[in-house]
Amino acid sequence: MSLIKSLSPRLANQIAAGEVVERPASVIKELVENALDAGARRIDIDVEEGGVKLIRVRDDGCGIEKEDLGLALARHATSKIITLDDLEAVATLGFRGEALASICSVSRLSLTSCYQGCSEGWCVTAEGRDLKPQLAPAAHTQGSTVEVRDLFYNTPARRKFLRSEKTEFAHIEEVVKRQALSRPGVAFNLRHNGRVIHQVRPVASENDERRRLMALLGQPFMEHAVRVEREGSGMVLSGWVAEPAFSRSQADLQYFFVNGRVIRDRLVAHAVRQAYQDVLYHGRHPAFVLYFEIDPSQVDVNVHPTKHEVRFREGRMVHNFLYGSLHRALADIRPENRSSAAQERATLEMATPALMPARLPDSAFGTQTALTLTDRPALSAASASSSFSPPPGTFSAPVADVQRTLEAYGQLYGRTESIAPPSGAAGEGAPPLGYALAQLHGIYILAQNQAGLILVDMHAAHERIVYERLKQSIGTHSVVRQPLLVPLSLAVSRSEMLQLEESDEFIQEYGLTLEPAGPETIVVRQVPALLARSNIERLVRDVLSDLMTHGRSSRIEERRNALLGTMACHGAVRANRQLTLPEMNVLLRDMEATERSGQCNHGRPTWVQLDMAALDKLFMRGR
Amino acid sequence: MKLSLAREMLLPALQMISGVVEKRHTMPILANFLLKVINGRLTITGTNMEVEMIASIGGVPVSEGFRTTVPARKLVDIFRALPEDVMVDLELKDNRLDIRAGNSHFTLATLPADHFPSIDAEDDSVTIKIPQKNLKKLIDSVAFGMAQQDVRYYLNGMLFEITQSELKAVATDGHRLALSSLEVTTGIEDVRAIIVPRKGVLELAKLLQDTESLCTVTVGKNHLKASVDSFTFTSKLIDGKFPDYQRVIPKGGDKKVIADRHDLKDVLVRASILSHESIRGIRLFLEPSVLMVSANNPDQEKAEDSLTVEYSGEPLQIGFNVSYLLDVMNAIKEDRIRLTLSSNNNSALIEGEHSSDTLYVVMPMRL
Repeated sequence: MSLIKSLSPRLANQIAAGEVVERPASVIKELVENALDAGARRIDIDVEEGGVKLIRVRDDGCGIEKEDLGLALARHATSKIITLDDLEAVATLGFRGEALASICSVSRLSLTSCYQGCSEGWCVTAEGRDLKPQLAPAAHTQGSTVEVRDLFYNTPARRKFLRSEKTEFAHIEEVVKRQALSRPGVAFNLRHNGRVIHQVRPVASENDERRRLMALLGQPFMEHAVRVEREGSGMVLSGWVAEPAFSRSQADLQYFFVNGRVIRDRLVAHAVRQAYQDVLYHGRHPAFVLYFEIDPSQVDVNVHPTKHEVRFREGRMVHNFLYGSLHRALADIRPENRSSAAQERATLEMATPALMPARLPDSAFGTQTALTLTDRPALSAASASSSFSPPPGTFSAPVADVQRTLEAYGQLYGRTESIAPPSGAAGEGAPPLGYALAQLHGIYILAQNQAGLILVDMHAAHERIVYERLKQSIGTHSVVRQPLLVPLSLAVSRSEMLQLEESDEFIQEYGLTLEPAGPETIVVRQVPALLARSNIERLVRDVLSDLMTHGRSSRIEERRNALLGTMACHGAVRANRQLTLPEMNVLLRDMEATERSGQCNHGRPTWVQLDMAALDKLFMRGR
Repeated sequence: MKLSLAREMLLPALQMISGVVEKRHTMPILANFLLKVINGRLTITGTNMEVEMIASIGGVPVSEGFRTTVPARKLVDIFRALPEDVMVDLELKDNRLDIRAGNSHFTLATLPADHFPSIDAEDDSVTIKIPQKNLKKLIDSVAFGMAQQDVRYYLNGMLFEITQSELKAVATDGHRLALSSLEVTTGIEDVRAIIVPRKGVLELAKLLQDTESLCTVTVGKNHLKASVDSFTFTSKLIDGKFPDYQRVIPKGGDKKVIADRHDLKDVLVRASILSHESIRGIRLFLEPSVLMVSANNPDQEKAEDSLTVEYSGEPLQIGFNVSYLLDVMNAIKEDRIRLTLSSNNNSALIEGEHSSDTLYVVMPMRL
């Protein structure tokens, strides 16, 4: 009797299912990806009891022909690729030809489909040890429906690992969310036990897109999101990144799509972290939704059955592109973006237009409030007659007010000319951070802008300004090198040695000179002058290990920036330093012009806006 | 148990020893002085477990058995604040030290003297006697070169190398080096090399006076002990291998410059104002008879200065950390210095014009 036997197709598929079908959510992921590959515009997902009892995914894609239906459930059968060349430049989400067969082997699956242009649909089921497909006619509009009942009914071990219905559904929701994010043009409907949970419409305009993201990721994210769009060397990056102020304690709001495929990749995570370096508070995680397009032949997706990981052919180039794009995007955040975002939200929040006359320039009340500036008492009378006008003064254009206040202060101090804001400052030309009113306990600056009150942490804000200036001044100079009188020799591993030979040029560029002095020894001959006093051994080791894992290293920059950060901290104005109004205004203008001025170099926020609505709330005004 | 003495007898000793006591520590007793009376002398001890200093005061009516520890800083402050020439009575009562002087009365908390750590003496030591002022000069001309809190712990101190006829002191922080030697008849056969930690070096230098009186230095395996007048100083040694300093001393430099030390120092100080705050780089341009110095900072501000020097070689441009050069200018006592260079990649040798016992090596900087 031979000991080696062929496994039955069912068992072989069940083994494959072990990798791909982990829980109901993975079934949904596979089925939705199939629907998307079929070109669906609308996908309906029905789930019962957390997906354990029933999962039904219905799409309006191209459908499957009757002849193909039998093969559709067989293992290693797919319409997506034919040759190895196709695999190397795969443009569809799936390509392994395993999903349906695997799911079929661990559940009761039926596939109903109607091919485009056909008049009738067919339903296929596969049961028994050999999974022989059986066809039957069925009514169906164009597209396919896959029904998965009693998941894991025949694999009790897996079934035991399932969590509560709620948890399983939460996973499903997350999967659907990701898929919905990946294809803005497709409508998704998700129902659980007959109740509609998510209903997202296809996107036609950018506004739609914002709304869709808001529905999927929540309003706070969109309020702080910054649009990113970059193109270069055959790569396109678009999407949204959250301002550093909106950080998360977990890395849960991070979506990265490579050619429409959700992935979690170390290289990507590293590039993003670096881009957020020195603006993110310690231990916080950034939030982002990013779409990355690259020639499919440049990515290898055939790394893992679930396709969560990918490999980039040109890893370093991709890393540099991602880092560069995000770094720029974050550096370009200026106070005006934030105040305009706040204003936008205000616009959304205000249900009745009558409540926001000052913000609608062409409404009749706009002119009315403008009168306030010149003749306040008269307006009070006028507004008293109109039932829904704002409380007088509350919504008056603040810039002029500020100017008046400043003048008042100026007279107090006996000088008027220097304090007046630049001419033309009134109206929409007013700076986003407004004009300073006073200093609070020697720590905060109070300023007034269009939207309301601005509070600035004086030291934090100045620290960032000084820091950015230092960084710039260092950046424009070539690296100053300090050769060592007593060279430092280090024991390293052979792989580190190889890395050193490979990236010697990169290391030299940063002012480090390392020389091999034996098979496992290197000698440090020269270090960047700025870091001459720091722990050189650790720096060299960190740089080498970074180069080995990520292909590049920013340790030297990080160290240098940390040093500059300390210098900036000492160079910035301290608490209890009394500032005059002109000084404060200069600081506000500097903030508007400085990169990353929203956070100090430790990631703490430098300013907050308390808009009029928030202030009114404090005093229960206007309700 | 009681003893009484004049304020002036104790104050200088207290002030000298208080330098050893660290401001912050985890062991409370290290903030204290040990006071005890043995053989009719009062001894006061301060320690930081690495460096220990003992003052011994005779000629006071003392009561045997007096032994306690009291907070060092407070005791010093009290003695400093008391009026001059007042008689002070110290009395130990119920674990407290009563201090009475004139109308003033203080009570200090004490800790048991048995808990006070001491550095154990050892055998296998050699003893040499050197005039205080010579040892002081040796240390003072080298001390600035010691590293501070470097991970290469053996650089955070001073190397003393003792041979049959010579005592050599070397200090380096990896970027510059200072070396000085002193002729002494030591009578030892082999060469002994020890590294004294930074703190120990600085405290010892404070203790030494500018006099001809002899200081007795005992070098053991793990300790260095120096007896100066009524003080006994002990320091633990750093257990490590000091870099081979002979290799870094440049030889065969062909570009020799003789300059007035004061003038050169002034020129450097002026140029340094506009050098980069943290990098401190300056450029030297050497031409026959002229040394020009320039510095610029990130704000594009620039300083240029020059002085006449004795030089007849080829022109040379070289960058330095100006702080390193200024340290050397301050350490040399002669009026004229000799600067020996070979190229802008090689280290510079700086000495006094006539002295050959002290030299300084500074690494250039690539600006």
